[in-house]
Amino acid sequence: MKKTCIIIPLLIYLFGFGVNSYGTASKSIREKAVGLNQTTYTGVVKDKLGVAISGASVAVKGRAASTSTDNNGHFSISASAGEVIEISFLGYEQMMVTLTQQTNLNVVLQESANTELDEVIVIGYGTTTRRRVVGAVDHVNSDIIENRPVTNLTQALQGTMPSLNIQQRSMNPNDNTMNINIRGIGTMNNNSPLIVIDGLVSDGASLNRLNPNDIESASVLKDAGTAAIYGSRSANGVLLVTTKKGKKNQKPTLRLSTQTGIQTPKILFRPVEGYQNATLKNLSLTNVNAHPQFTPEQIRDLYDHRAEEEWSYDVILQDGLQQNYNVTLSGGSENTTYLFSGGFLDQESNFAGDFGIQRYNLRANVTSDINDRIKISSILNYARNNNKASTASNAIINSSRIPPYYYYRMQADNGKYLVNNALTDQNPLAELRDGGRIDSDNDYFNVNLGLDVKIIDGLKLRGVFGADMFSNHRYTRRLQIPLYSSPDATTPLVFVNTERNTEDYNEKTYLLNYQLLLDYDKTFDKHQITGLFGASNESYTRRANEIRLRFTDPILGVPVSETEILPSSYVSPQQTQQTGLSSLFARLGYSFDQKYFIEGSFRYDGSSKFLKQNRWGFFPSVSLGWRLSDELFMDSYREKIGDVKIRGTYGHLGNQDIENYQYLTVYTPYTNAYGFNNTSVAGAGFRYGNETISWETTKSFNIGADLTFFSQRLNASFDYFNNKTVDILTEPNLSAVFGTKLGSLNIGEMVNRGWEISVNYGFETGNANHRVGGNVGDTFNKVTKYTNDEDILTSDNITKLIRVGVPFMSYYGYKTEGYFQSMQEIEAAALPVGVAADDLKPGDVRYVDRNQDGVIDGRDRFVLGSGFPRFTFGFTYDVSYKGFDFGMLVQGSAKRDMMVRGELVEPFHSNYSFVMYQHQLDYWTPTNTNATWPRLTAAGATSTANNYGRDSDIYMFDGAYARLKNIQLGYTIPNTYSEKIGIANMRIFVNAQNLLTLSKNSWIDPESSEFNSNMSGSANSARNYPTLKYYGFGLDIQF
Amino acid sequence: MKKLRYIKQICIVAILLALGSCNTMDPIPTNDFTDANFWTSPENAELIVNMAYNQMYSADKMWNDEALSDNVFEGRTNTDQRIIRNGIADPSLGLFDTEWEWAYGGLKTCHVFLQFIDIVPGMTAEHKERRKAEVRFIRAHLYFRLVNFYGDVPFFTSDVSLDESQRVPRTSKAQVLSFIHQELDEIIPLLPSRNQLSAADNGRITSGAAVAFQARAYLYESSWSKVIEYCDKLINQGETFGNYSLFPSYSGLFEATNEYNQEVILDYAHVPSVKYWSKYYDAAPLSAGARLNAYAPLQELVDSYLTTNGLTVQNDPTYNDNNPYTNRDPRLAASVVFHGGQWTSFDGTTKTIYIRPGTGGTAEERMDVYINSSSNSTATGYYMRKYYDQTAITNYQSGLNIIMYRYADVLLMYAEALNEQNDMDENAWNNTIGAIRARAGFTNPAARSYPSTATQAQLREIIRNERRSELALEGLRYYDIIRWKAGTQYLNGFVHGAKFANSGTAYIQLDNRRFDENRDYLWSVPRAEMDINNNLRPNNPGYGN
Repeated sequence: MKKTCIIIPLLIYLFGFGVNSYGTASKSIREKAVGLNQTTYTGVVKDKLGVAISGASVAVKGRAASTSTDNNGHFSISASAGEVIEISFLGYEQMMVTLTQQTNLNVVLQESANTELDEVIVIGYGTTTRRRVVGAVDHVNSDIIENRPVTNLTQALQGTMPSLNIQQRSMNPNDNTMNINIRGIGTMNNNSPLIVIDGLVSDGASLNRLNPNDIESASVLKDAGTAAIYGSRSANGVLLVTTKKGKKNQKPTLRLSTQTGIQTPKILFRPVEGYQNATLKNLSLTNVNAHPQFTPEQIRDLYDHRAEEEWSYDVILQDGLQQNYNVTLSGGSENTTYLFSGGFLDQESNFAGDFGIQRYNLRANVTSDINDRIKISSILNYARNNNKASTASNAIINSSRIPPYYYYRMQADNGKYLVNNALTDQNPLAELRDGGRIDSDNDYFNVNLGLDVKIIDGLKLRGVFGADMFSNHRYTRRLQIPLYSSPDATTPLVFVNTERNTEDYNEKTYLLNYQLLLDYDKTFDKHQITGLFGASNESYTRRANEIRLRFTDPILGVPVSETEILPSSYVSPQQTQQTGLSSLFARLGYSFDQKYFIEGSFRYDGSSKFLKQNRWGFFPSVSLGWRLSDELFMDSYREKIGDVKIRGTYGHLGNQDIENYQYLTVYTPYTNAYGFNNTSVAGAGFRYGNETISWETTKSFNIGADLTFFSQRLNASFDYFNNKTVDILTEPNLSAVFGTKLGSLNIGEMVNRGWEISVNYGFETGNANHRVGGNVGDTFNKVTKYTNDEDILTSDNITKLIRVGVPFMSYYGYKTEGYFQSMQEIEAAALPVGVAADDLKPGDVRYVDRNQDGVIDGRDRFVLGSGFPRFTFGFTYDVSYKGFDFGMLVQGSAKRDMMVRGELVEPFHSNYSFVMYQHQLDYWTPTNTNATWPRLTAAGATSTANNYGRDSDIYMFDGAYARLKNIQLGYTIPNTYSEKIGIANMRIFVNAQNLLTLSKNSWIDPESSEFNSNMSGSANSARNYPTLKYYGFGLDIQF
Repeated sequence: MKKLRYIKQICIVAILLALGSCNTMDPIPTNDFTDANFWTSPENAELIVNMAYNQMYSADKMWNDEALSDNVFEGRTNTDQRIIRNGIADPSLGLFDTEWEWAYGGLKTCHVFLQFIDIVPGMTAEHKERRKAEVRFIRAHLYFRLVNFYGDVPFFTSDVSLDESQRVPRTSKAQVLSFIHQELDEIIPLLPSRNQLSAADNGRITSGAAVAFQARAYLYESSWSKVIEYCDKLINQGETFGNYSLFPSYSGLFEATNEYNQEVILDYAHVPSVKYWSKYYDAAPLSAGARLNAYAPLQELVDSYLTTNGLTVQNDPTYNDNNPYTNRDPRLAASVVFHGGQWTSFDGTTKTIYIRPGTGGTAEERMDVYINSSSNSTATGYYMRKYYDQTAITNYQSGLNIIMYRYADVLLMYAEALNEQNDMDENAWNNTIGAIRARAGFTNPAARSYPSTATQAQLREIIRNERRSELALEGLRYYDIIRWKAGTQYLNGFVHGAKFANSGTAYIQLDNRRFDENRDYLWSVPRAEMDINNNLRPNNPGYGN
């Protein structure tokens, strides 16, 4: 088996170059035959407004000779009088000119009536056009992605397509957690989409290693008709990314672009002033009959020193600079195209200290037609990420929960780092500034080699070899810092990073990919036939090792005699993962008169995640499309209103994203499980496997329509889908009496339905061109089968539920019914188990006794809501006027529940927080009975347990929001000026990000969420990195 | 013909591609054993034995069990132990679930071992029997914990299938206990005694441990004659069951240098820097480098220690509650840090701990001062002392073993059983309570000699109090209260801290605990378990199903 690894690429190349030599010979003969009596024709191509069109293709009909226009619309081509040249450009009607003796041509192209319909759309293993596509595909081009001050592609795609839900859960440059979901939640397993870059299935991690500036387009395959060709991994949708390439017959174009800006951290919550905090702390204590903490003199003292107060959270944050530079050189000759690009991104962290990320990108995309039959292509991409993070993992918590009392300082004037009775043994400022660092350097190398051979007219053979290689290294050094109890203390009280760890982590992963495709595309009269047959193999290997030392040399970090190797260190076999996937797939399409479309596809996948007899899965799909408006009886509708296309697909999609070896019973050795005579011994745990596990399958139905209005100025798409996923692989909810875990089983079923609309409208007012785009989508899922019907998962007062009949991972808990207003009310009410009426006071939370049994217990809980965003939308508006352009993007979610716990909800949370925030001031008092929050009580009191100790809707908030994600204003300097200094095109712009957010809860970023793409994750404690606002400017120059 | 040649080539390559693969399609785990290669060596079998030991008990269990008693207060947050003691637990309480799951996880390990050990090659039958006996001890220990918490529990003696695990009903506590007694009797002869144990095997389960377990199990059933029978084996039959005696220093008993001393019958092993516990990070005085205080001794515990005269604080006229820590049972200072008490740091230096409000000369000294029940310093006015490990490293990571059975406990069980049988006399007193008090450091003969005039009931109070003082902060107090059916006496009403409130005029008043005699001697069966397995119903009284 191993040998084929080498044999296959060899075969592809031998095969390819064998044909190659034959092809090259034949070409040179033919070139000669037409090389007589040629004249050089020159010309300029413009649109009807007289604006030069660059990049238009100019070809001599019936010959291979072609060129394209330069940046000023000029071209030059050798041809003979009497020949016909064809001038075409995307979005314009093709123009034919019969050559005469006149060698200087002026060509005016008319805008095509079917601009949108002829847009090329990348689909699985090929391309199609908007006119022909019969599945649910969304597509964006580079213009949407460029110029946004984002640091990666995922951010760039946010809000651009309906039902492509991207949530940026943290804005920390060093931990940029983002969720990507296409069409909601369809499985209890991993819901992340499949990522395909330039035709190769890729590791999800590679997406954000790309330079957004290199991206030509992104497509999202949402339904079975388009995604089933990716078979077993397509159930969550497929994100196809295509990188830019050079154009044929284009003179070298050098493009330089740069963006620079400042990211300002915006803390959304503020503490009350010190004296107020002390007063409220006292109130919380006296409210539960405890002794007040602060004397009136102490409060007075705090009041007198208000001017000296500072909040530790403010102290540890600073503005961060973000810079981005790109250089692209592209062009092409008659047979070869090339694009070379380089990029550099530098984003500073907003934490005190010197942290942040740097990314370097290099790319070479080259294609060459060796002859009429053979084309080779090569994509080489290298990215280097340097991630410099701090060792202070709790800096936000440890600084934000400290009151701004003037005598609480993290650092004394003499430089000593301090602790106090709130900070105890922590000091975030010390950790950030002097606590060492976690430096990661990650190399990513992507190779994509392709060979296309035209066998006969319409039939092409394509071989592809691809490799994604990641080499990740992380070096961690924790420096010990002394903390003092007072500025004049001579000996430190405690240290942070007492263990003085030095850690080194190395990881290599590689994903090798081979494909062989036969592609057929032929039109006979009104019949168009397309066919695709392919085979592929993917191999994924990951190896990692890590050494973790503690008590290393304080200066060098190297091992010394007292150094210990931590048992959590590991060697390669402990972190080795290998998987393989072999596939055969095919697609067959037929259309008649561009009016009736039928297409079928299948994929047959074998995965190493399953035992041999359950390994293979078959995933078919069928699609139908009808351009209703092309029917004769629709003629008048088409002329007056526009096009109508109706399309529908049905198919099976798969998912196999589970851990390896789930079908085996495994015994895992653990070091230091026990000890005899003070010598440690290892132990072993086990997990039972089930040999019968196999694919999970999503049966997917989609119906949609594409409509245009006002002569194609407005076009709209509508889709409705209904997916049912069966045999979902998930770990069963077992009785604990069983005593151990079982691996994933095919046990769940769920349905997922939804719809989406996208509308684009372009219009002109005077000299201004406007473009408005909007998209909105909604999904709704429901569990239909689960082991033992339900599983209740509680983490820190927030409970999530898997239950038949309700959405996966719904919020579950008690419903509050306002606050008690009198003792009589308390005495008459149902109270939680064990709570007596005299334990509570007016102002405490009252719960709904759902089953009316007179006591509040677990049986009284409700399904409270769902944390998955619904009615997600994006809205773009672009306008250009003469040289000016303006653009904005608003995105958000119109319905979402968000549960948040911790100190931002509960004042003085569990004695871990010492501070009260301004948004908590509307608490119940006898004179403020219609309050937002219950009365103030101290941690540990029965009232506090009653009010905040339960998984209730007191923790539930409205997570709906709309955010002005991006706004920019640009100006293109007229060619007449720029050309004088040798610049073809020059644009300057200013832009901003996250300027404005509308949400019902001002104190928390509405995008923050505990849920990852799998709908799992512990409770949201709102301790997010602050929301970042970006203000910057940029420059884009083309030579 | 050319076309045909292409097609043939395509087919060959396509087939090669589909079948060929860089990685094998049948990968073998590199990190784990499988059924195919695990039960093939004695070393692997030992891994499972070691895992069973790991799952037998833990330091955290000891601390958590103690927090269920009237010795300790968890002031910072509403821990599950605190919720139970305040009488507001319902069947969804996390601890009900995690304790149950933990015990059955350990039982799984034991049963899988017992199922497969016979097929392991390269192990002598004798060796297998001995390891089986150790594992059977651990299984009995886990069932013992389960019945003490939950009463009737799902019970089985070989591995359960998935299906069985979701249908198995509860077996009566009495039946489970009779299995435990029978098992222990069977394994006692199969286990070596402490005397036979090689140094390398220090910490392994011995026949003495099994005898001590029998004594404790009978004690919890108040089977007094059986308690006497098994304690006697350890007191008077050392040649057979191992020689044990009191370690000369009470505080030294809990120090790392004295692990596996003559008093220890069985302990739960920790190994410095690799297998450690770190409760003291949240329990030691803050000036000694603790993060915060989440776990502190109660005034009720402090008050239970006798004066050096052998009298209770209520009965000793020399006792002054404004100077309460002088002339007290030396075990108080060995177990609890009070205001003015001493603390020996990791580097060996000793310092005074200041807790009374308004004391402390430096910012560092003032770190430990009592503020109130919702601050980082102590909520009760006391800090923990027993089991503080001076050899611990950063963040109080301690490799100190946690003692599960020790000889003083045997003497106390023996004394209690004799008294319950009305057989206590001067000789028995001197060998039990007298010896323990002498070792504790009482020098006043009044405190050591037999209270000959005491009634059986008075002796009962004395012995019970002695048990509390000797075994405080060792995780046993809760079980004693439960078996005495003394819940209302000890676990009801306000608990207190030191006399630091109202400018030192009043004791700190903490939670108002509630004990329901009809409910709180048992825990609830976890709600999630009842939802999966209806045969677990009805639940224990008072909790609802």
